[in-house]
Amino acid sequence: MKAVCWMGKSKIETQVVNDPQLLNPHDAILKITSTAICGSDLHLYDGFIPTMEAGDVLGHEFMGIVEEVGPAVDNLKRGDRVVVPFTIACGNCLFCKKKLWSLCDNTNPNAHLAETAYGYSGSALFGYSHMMGGYAGGQAQYVRVPFANVGPLKIESDLPDEKVLFLSDVFPTGFMAAENAQIQEGDTVAVWGAGPVGLFSVASAYMLGAARVICIDRIPERLALARSIGAITVAYEDEDVSVLTALRDLTGGIGPDGCIDAVGLEAHMGDAQGLYDSVKTALMMETDRPGVLRQAIQAVRKGGTLSIPGVYGGLLDKVPFGAAFGKGITMKMGQTHMQKYMKPLLERIEKGQIDPSFIISHRITLDDAPGMYEIWRDKKENVTKIVIDPWAEGAATNEEPAKVARTA
Amino acid sequence: MKSPLTEMPKADVLPIQSGAAALLEGHYAPPPADEDGKLWVRTSTIIQAHPRKLYEMWRDVEAAPTWHERILEVVRTGPSTSHWVLKDEPGEKILEWDFEILADEPEKRIAWRSLYGEPESAGEVIFEPAPGNRGTMVTVLEQFRMGKFSRAWKALTGRDPKQSVIENLRHFKAMAETGEIPRIEPQPHGERGASGDMKRSVYGEKITTPPGTVSGRGIAVNE
Repeated sequence: MKAVCWMGKSKIETQVVNDPQLLNPHDAILKITSTAICGSDLHLYDGFIPTMEAGDVLGHEFMGIVEEVGPAVDNLKRGDRVVVPFTIACGNCLFCKKKLWSLCDNTNPNAHLAETAYGYSGSALFGYSHMMGGYAGGQAQYVRVPFANVGPLKIESDLPDEKVLFLSDVFPTGFMAAENAQIQEGDTVAVWGAGPVGLFSVASAYMLGAARVICIDRIPERLALARSIGAITVAYEDEDVSVLTALRDLTGGIGPDGCIDAVGLEAHMGDAQGLYDSVKTALMMETDRPGVLRQAIQAVRKGGTLSIPGVYGGLLDKVPFGAAFGKGITMKMGQTHMQKYMKPLLERIEKGQIDPSFIISHRITLDDAPGMYEIWRDKKENVTKIVIDPWAEGAATNEEPAKVARTA
Repeated sequence: MKSPLTEMPKADVLPIQSGAAALLEGHYAPPPADEDGKLWVRTSTIIQAHPRKLYEMWRDVEAAPTWHERILEVVRTGPSTSHWVLKDEPGEKILEWDFEILADEPEKRIAWRSLYGEPESAGEVIFEPAPGNRGTMVTVLEQFRMGKFSRAWKALTGRDPKQSVIENLRHFKAMAETGEIPRIEPQPHGERGASGDMKRSVYGEKITTPPGTVSGRGIAVNE
């Protein structure tokens, strides 16, 4: 089959690899019908996430048709159409029983690596480094899904792929971010980053009762999307704009009740702070660039809540913990407990409360994917979300991959 | 002694001592230090299963190859003795030894030691209710004597012998809770190149994951 492989920092190739096979009793093999590139894949592309190996198959946002199931999978059969969550959970350990699915004990074969780095290992993820399990991902034509009795969500309606595909990660992740912001009716919520997770955080904050949502980014088409779902936007690179002043101005001077960092470890910072973090990460004295985290801690109101869906991987420098303590804030974060959110969010889609496909800007083939990683990383071509049809033939010209876009 | 705290309505009755020497007179005790060529390892986990089931799984020595790394075969040689065979990567016998069970307390504790010289090891496993009724706490304490066998262990198995004990308990837990052991080999991948292959070795991925139930010799663990 064809698969998108990580071959080193800033090096992605589409290669022909072996088909996956059933390895364990609870496995299923899926023929992938739609898959996507996630903003967090860019952290892999840029080499920020340790324990990637050359040849690793990328991709953790995918859906498809069940091809084959292992002997212990009794809830799925060949031909079922499913969306697969990016976190792999066993359903039986103490953490799964507490519905903390992304902290499952039993799915990471390389748990010892995560224990060394983090103390304890969370659940395994598809296509997201060997510390996180080393499972081959789904930017491919087929994928092996472990614990298929627990993760995959059956789609029994005729909703098109593009409306349900984002149940695999970014919609639930944005929703949990809004839930983690502990929104009370009437709250003002600020969201950093108008990428897919940020946009779904905006939409979810309104679903949970926010009166006003403010979204911060620098890319005009992303800010336009945020406004299209009701957010007030702040373009932080505009002349004379200070995000902290803007948030005070828009909240009557008290700051947002909830702040959501939907950016994570590769925050873009143009000033001296950006230079500081670039130097420290280059010298390996720091692993992450926490510009948004610092700003959000500063911006949140007294007693407010900071929710962090953006990925952080290692050690952060100059985080204003005194401000966090001084204002008595709450911080909530972590990988999404997918299995808790997929079904209720599918119901919202089925009821027509939201059509998640509004974020899609590019529809490409597997052969286009390596070029698109670069284009997205460099913020060219107005990319907001890239969806891959793994069975579409051929590559577009390297100059303009978007031209192979097919209509949904 | 009368406690100044007079109300602890939901507290467990606290153990004064525990197995595996983690608790002595109500005070935490660290694992014994390595000395004179003797290595100690203590590790514990919480498993969502009844102590009886876990005791029976552990006591079924002939099923050990389904969840022990690199164990080719275990044969029961008497009511309390068994013969163990370790294999190398192609699956050939490379080391053999015998274990004798010294203490056997159903649902609570099993202790064992090796017989007849190298490899020299001894260990115990304790099954006790986890605090707050959150499953069963399983603690393993093992000791190895560094001889030519132990020195060779890392070269033969790719793991520090202490880490092997930790990984085997992890496999045991996965078997007990899910009926399988998570694995990624073999799976699709692009060209690994020199660095990819080196990393697989560093990450411990060249150690074959024990078969779990897939071997067909299966211990039925799903209740």
